[in-house]
Amino acid sequence: MIRRIAWREFIEFIRDGRLPLVGGLFAVLLVVLLAVGWLQESNLNSERSAAQGMDYNDWLNQKNRHPHDAAHQGMHVFKPIPRLFLIDPGIDPFVGSTIWLRSHRQSEVKFRPAQDLTGLQRFGTLSAAWMLQILGPLFVIVLGFGALSGEREQGTLRQTLSLGVAPQQILWGKALALAGSLALLLLPALLLALTGAGSAIEQDRLDLLIRLILLGVGYALYLGIAIFVTLAVSAVAPSSRISLVLLIGLWIASVIVAPRIAADLSKAWHPNPTGVEFNTRLDNDLEHRYRKVWKEKLGTEKRWGPELPLNRWGEALKVDDHAGYEVTDEHFARLWDAFALQQQSQEWIGLAVPVLAIRGFSMGMAGTDFFHHREFAQAAERQRRLIQDTMSKDLIEHADPLGNQHFSYKAGSSLWASVPPFEYSPPKVGFALRHNKTSLFVLLAGLLTWIGIAHLAMPRSA
Amino acid sequence: MDRSTDNPILETINLCKRFGETQALHQVNLHVKSGEIYCLLGANGAGKTTLVNVFLGFLEPTSGTAYVNGRDVTGDGLACKREIAYIPEQVMLYGVLSGIENLEYFAELATGERQDRSRLLAHLEEVGLDRQAAVRRVSTYSKGMRQKVGIAIALAKRACALLLDEPTSGLDPKAASEFSQLLREARDRGVAILTTTHDLFHAKQTSSRIGIMNQGRLVTELDSQELGNADLEALYLQHMKA
Repeated sequence: MIRRIAWREFIEFIRDGRLPLVGGLFAVLLVVLLAVGWLQESNLNSERSAAQGMDYNDWLNQKNRHPHDAAHQGMHVFKPIPRLFLIDPGIDPFVGSTIWLRSHRQSEVKFRPAQDLTGLQRFGTLSAAWMLQILGPLFVIVLGFGALSGEREQGTLRQTLSLGVAPQQILWGKALALAGSLALLLLPALLLALTGAGSAIEQDRLDLLIRLILLGVGYALYLGIAIFVTLAVSAVAPSSRISLVLLIGLWIASVIVAPRIAADLSKAWHPNPTGVEFNTRLDNDLEHRYRKVWKEKLGTEKRWGPELPLNRWGEALKVDDHAGYEVTDEHFARLWDAFALQQQSQEWIGLAVPVLAIRGFSMGMAGTDFFHHREFAQAAERQRRLIQDTMSKDLIEHADPLGNQHFSYKAGSSLWASVPPFEYSPPKVGFALRHNKTSLFVLLAGLLTWIGIAHLAMPRSA
Repeated sequence: MDRSTDNPILETINLCKRFGETQALHQVNLHVKSGEIYCLLGANGAGKTTLVNVFLGFLEPTSGTAYVNGRDVTGDGLACKREIAYIPEQVMLYGVLSGIENLEYFAELATGERQDRSRLLAHLEEVGLDRQAAVRRVSTYSKGMRQKVGIAIALAKRACALLLDEPTSGLDPKAASEFSQLLREARDRGVAILTTTHDLFHAKQTSSRIGIMNQGRLVTELDSQELGNADLEALYLQHMKA
């Protein structure tokens, strides 16, 4: 009976033109966005991979020079774009993907952690994910706003109920019709995404497939919520017109207004410093720590003099670097943790505003969220420290025995070659799921809640 | 399904329904047996539609009981509805579907099984809708044609009781007469029919018994054979004044 109701509803969607016109447009846009995303991802990856190779080549082919000069030149590392960027670019377009690994301090050139507006808070990059998150519910509303209110107005609901059909059967029939229509429209996009994921050679295909399945589950839960919200409102609205007005109002409030408020709230609960504040505090702490460790380990705070001659420069650099590592780690950890807590609050706000939960989950499964970015930034920092430590160690080993030849020492290609190229493997799906399980739970809880509400809202008579 | 002519298919015992201060039904006792057409007359607001809504399970009685084929409507509402076919003043169908598609849909919902299309087309022909009309979209149908689809749904459902709420209101005389004929045919097949109407002529022409309602009370019941048209009209007006 549920299938029969769904089929009749589906035929109506087709015959009254809602599905072919609005749905067709939706499906075409989605496919175009996926194709554009795929193209973008392929181009970016090949550009970055080429740039990464050239940069390492430059490193290897440096002329003979002082190791500390080489450390200052450093390296650039390029964040590989995950294949599912084609679905959800996440925060990647905002946080950048190139990090300059230079001496003395962790680079923040391309990641601007302390800016007021973070990637977590931004909204609206045109992508397949954006379509599904923002326009998906709108499409459900267009199809379903009159599902029950319209039938009540026409009198067909009374006719159906008089036949002994349970209200729950009507509800599930209509939900199935809406879900089936969405599935039909999403099928081409899903096939394209599968092809895109399947053609990936640089990423583990099984991992990609699981991520894609989880993305599908996440969006199914999210659009399921949209379906049951629409049906619940349509069930209680006295007319289709009021149902449409209420649903559009809810849509504006939940996908446009609430996410911004949620971002502000989460920032108020877990504040992060501004760029200037972050740098000032980091500089002050570094300065303080340098002085302290110099005193402890080198016996003086004064840089270079009889107590600390320049032939101990390599050793002093190492002391500097390691003291800096600790301070930088503390500061960045606090910053990252603030972002993580902001994201966590937003995930829980997702109980009331599901778009927040799906946004986090979608970025997570696509590998373009904050946690994946943090992994990359940490891997880059490990590479930077490897370069610094290698250069400092070489300086210590080649300390000036004469006392006046500090800068005449030049290292050669064997030293450069001792630094391996930057290799980065993005985290696996387990990592993504671990960091986004709250969102998944929130989506599931939201769906169950709205199924319950829709059941209660269903009219027993008409 | 018990279709013994002795047992009422539709029955109310001391049925009351109150909406706030308004007593819509007051101690209504009626029964409609198999093969009987019971016609309820009454002014607007007399409680006729409320009674139909109680049988359909759309309203719960304040007190008293309503039975469909021996089942209490408040206890087993869905099962009761499966025994009833309901034809409102205006049978509402899906405009984008054809007559036969509407019939297939509602018949399947009513019986829980897919029905043979040729049998359903035969039902439509039986009620006077030819095949050409059957495959046309219902949005092009007249009210009379929609009412006929309603009867066809009842036939396909093989319901033991028909509830009709002002079914001939707005029909032209020819369509109303055809409709009355269809009701008589259903009665002859043993269906218990409860119909509400303002149309005294239709009531006299089709009913086995007539009940007159006023302000929620069933004020009188008559065997239609005992009355001429003039008597019915006079009696009706007399009860309306009371």
